[in-house]
Amino acid sequence: MSITLYNYVLSGNCYKVRLLANLLNIKYETVAIDFHPGKEHQSEPLLKLNPAGTLPILVANGQVFTETQAMLVWLAQQHDPSCSWWPINNANQLAAVVQWLGFSSRLSATIGELRLHSMLNNTINIDSAQHGAKICLRELESHLTEQRIIGQQWLTGDQPTIADVACFPYTALSPDAGIEHDEYPLIRGWLHALRSLDNFLTMPGIHELHELGSTIRDKT
Amino acid sequence: MTGLEHAQKYWYPVAMLGELNDGQTKNTQLLGTEISVCGSNEESVTVSSAGQLLAVQCQYDHVWTTFSDDPYPLFAIPEAEEPGRRFVPCGVVRVSCSPLRAVENFLDIAHFPFVHTGVLGAEPHTEVYKYDVQIDEKHDEVFATNIRFFQPQASKSAEGSIETEYIYRVPAPMAAILYKTCPPKPEAMDVITLFVQPIDEETCDVWPWMALYDDTSTMADLIQFQQLIFVQDRSILENQLPRKLPIDPGHEIPTKADLTSIAYRRWLKKRGAYYGALEKI
Amino acid sequence: MTTEPIGLAQDLAPKGVMRAQIGHADMAIWRSTSGVISAWENRCPHRGMRLSHGFVRGESLACAYHGWHYDCDAKCHYIPAHPELEPPSTIRPAIYSVVEKAGIIWVNTAGTATPAELPDRLLGLRTITMQCDLSTAAHAIASAAQTNAALFNGSVNDINSDQTILSLANPNGTDGICILFQQPLAQSTVIHVLAHDSYSQNELIAISRWCESVRREAERIMQSSNKVEPAK
Ligand SMILES: N[C@H](CCC(=O)N[C@@H](CS)C(=O)NCC(=O)O)C(=O)O
Ligand code: FES
Repeated sequence: MSITLYNYVLSGNCYKVRLLANLLNIKYETVAIDFHPGKEHQSEPLLKLNPAGTLPILVANGQVFTETQAMLVWLAQQHDPSCSWWPINNANQLAAVVQWLGFSSRLSATIGELRLHSMLNNTINIDSAQHGAKICLRELESHLTEQRIIGQQWLTGDQPTIADVACFPYTALSPDAGIEHDEYPLIRGWLHALRSLDNFLTMPGIHELHELGSTIRDKT
Repeated sequence: MTGLEHAQKYWYPVAMLGELNDGQTKNTQLLGTEISVCGSNEESVTVSSAGQLLAVQCQYDHVWTTFSDDPYPLFAIPEAEEPGRRFVPCGVVRVSCSPLRAVENFLDIAHFPFVHTGVLGAEPHTEVYKYDVQIDEKHDEVFATNIRFFQPQASKSAEGSIETEYIYRVPAPMAAILYKTCPPKPEAMDVITLFVQPIDEETCDVWPWMALYDDTSTMADLIQFQQLIFVQDRSILENQLPRKLPIDPGHEIPTKADLTSIAYRRWLKKRGAYYGALEKI
Repeated sequence: MTTEPIGLAQDLAPKGVMRAQIGHADMAIWRSTSGVISAWENRCPHRGMRLSHGFVRGESLACAYHGWHYDCDAKCHYIPAHPELEPPSTIRPAIYSVVEKAGIIWVNTAGTATPAELPDRLLGLRTITMQCDLSTAAHAIASAAQTNAALFNGSVNDINSDQTILSLANPNGTDGICILFQQPLAQSTVIHVLAHDSYSQNELIAISRWCESVRREAERIMQSSNKVEPAK
């Protein structure tokens, strides 16, 4: 089985794929694409793979994926025998997962864009992105509040799914875009829970938790 | 002379040569002033501010400009002439912090295990051993030597963890250069620089640039390695308080590991480099 | 009243770190692994990093930048760059008085924290931030309480007579919910909502959604009153 991810280290969308692959212990190759400053994702060789000119691109056993959500579904379906990350046996939950996958695109379109603007000076409509980002984070906070009321820690149940993975990056990265998490206590708890999972993977802007280093420290 | 007047006497990077595009004007800011960069190459590039042309020079893959008629010369990087090195401009990253805080962070090694975990440092290897800092009188630069640090992945070309040696130079208030162990060529050192374009006292555009011996990594790999490191720093830099750098002792508590930062702050104070500093003169 | 409610106790789990602001005081509030809660000035004495970005290790809060470890008394006891060094006892961020009572975290930046008296049997529901001033928020809450007969009987009781704690009775006229106002920041109001332990899950969800409606209404009023720029 060969899996190749055309990757950019600062991209939250590429990170979704790396994160899930890591959580599920899936081996894959990466090809670094010079998104910034080189705009290589819009060069002819890359456009041949993905005419949309976006990253990530995943080539799995010869099949080319250009939508992150499809990559997450494929990875989970192939590599999670427990069917907990992509809960195909539960219609209600499965639909909820797809609902949150759709929501994750709204996070990219708002927080993701604002982040590129604050970090790389891309031109965007700041007001509408900020407004959209706030609507998204409030919705997420309210949903997590309701989940807590019914005793569930994750977006769609008591186990994390690819919905949590898809919504995590841009929510966690919002401070890069100037949107702090101070107003969103439930989001903070959810981010912390995700960062505490075994095989969690960091990216620039999302530091390691470091909480477990105490054993190292106590020995010295 | 105010901090601003002092800062106006230096050269600053304002664009990457590779991003110049015929017919396209890049509008940006320098020291709180709007400027425009036009032209398509080294020969044709101009920089102007309020209709006035500013002095321009192209060095180290970047376009540099100054507001002064009699600026301090742009610092030399002799390694930029060495055949066999690969020169890697890494693009720009905007950070909401004082340009001086960005430089000071670049001179710091004690944060490696916590901010660049698993790459430039890792617990339990956190100790900063004694090193030396001087002012190089001839060039009037801060110069730190004999720095050694344990690194899990010192560079794209490193295979496994090594003890890395570092040398730092601060040739201008808003630029820093480091030399570090070059895994594929032990007799030489890799060069990594941080060129800072001060947008204003609390915002900067940072242009990392490298001159490496590495014949195997792709350009995209090299750039991303550096961007990964720098963007890990960004979330720290945007959360330091106060946003401006305190250069008088007393506001913050340094230790022996911070000798370079202490020397840098003193050196800034001595030359009146108060732009981006908490104190005013 | 100088003791302020800054959050729900349940929103700060062991190993959690959060940030709060009271007036000009920017603070880091954290809970140790064993549950001890502390509130400090949000600035590491070393190089000024916000301590609210730090991480909890056992009974210490460590700074995200260079990993200096501070114990629950705010004393720095470990500097990773100098593992053998006993740090001078002068290295400590300013500390604030903090107590946990009735499901709320209370902080006083200028003295000992003394929590307000609250009715019994309340449980934390949620904290919500509104882009409007306190009086607009309080008005929106009071008028929304009149129009939701399924949840409230319409009576609003100003517990401290200073609009900092409102209690809304449920349809039976008994304890319903309690709303605590945090001292407002520029153009925003933070409220902490507590609900009586007899509500069902469905009712709690309805109250949470009611809070969101109230926020939308308060922000609409704020925008149209032209007191501030439209909220973005
Ligand atoms: N196909 C979408 C697109 C993802 C996306 O927008 N990626 C960004 C990078 S994070 C991109 O490539 N943008 C192209 C551009 O801005 O030119 C997905 O996989 O979710
Ligand atoms: S700034 Fe906190 S440890 Fe250095």
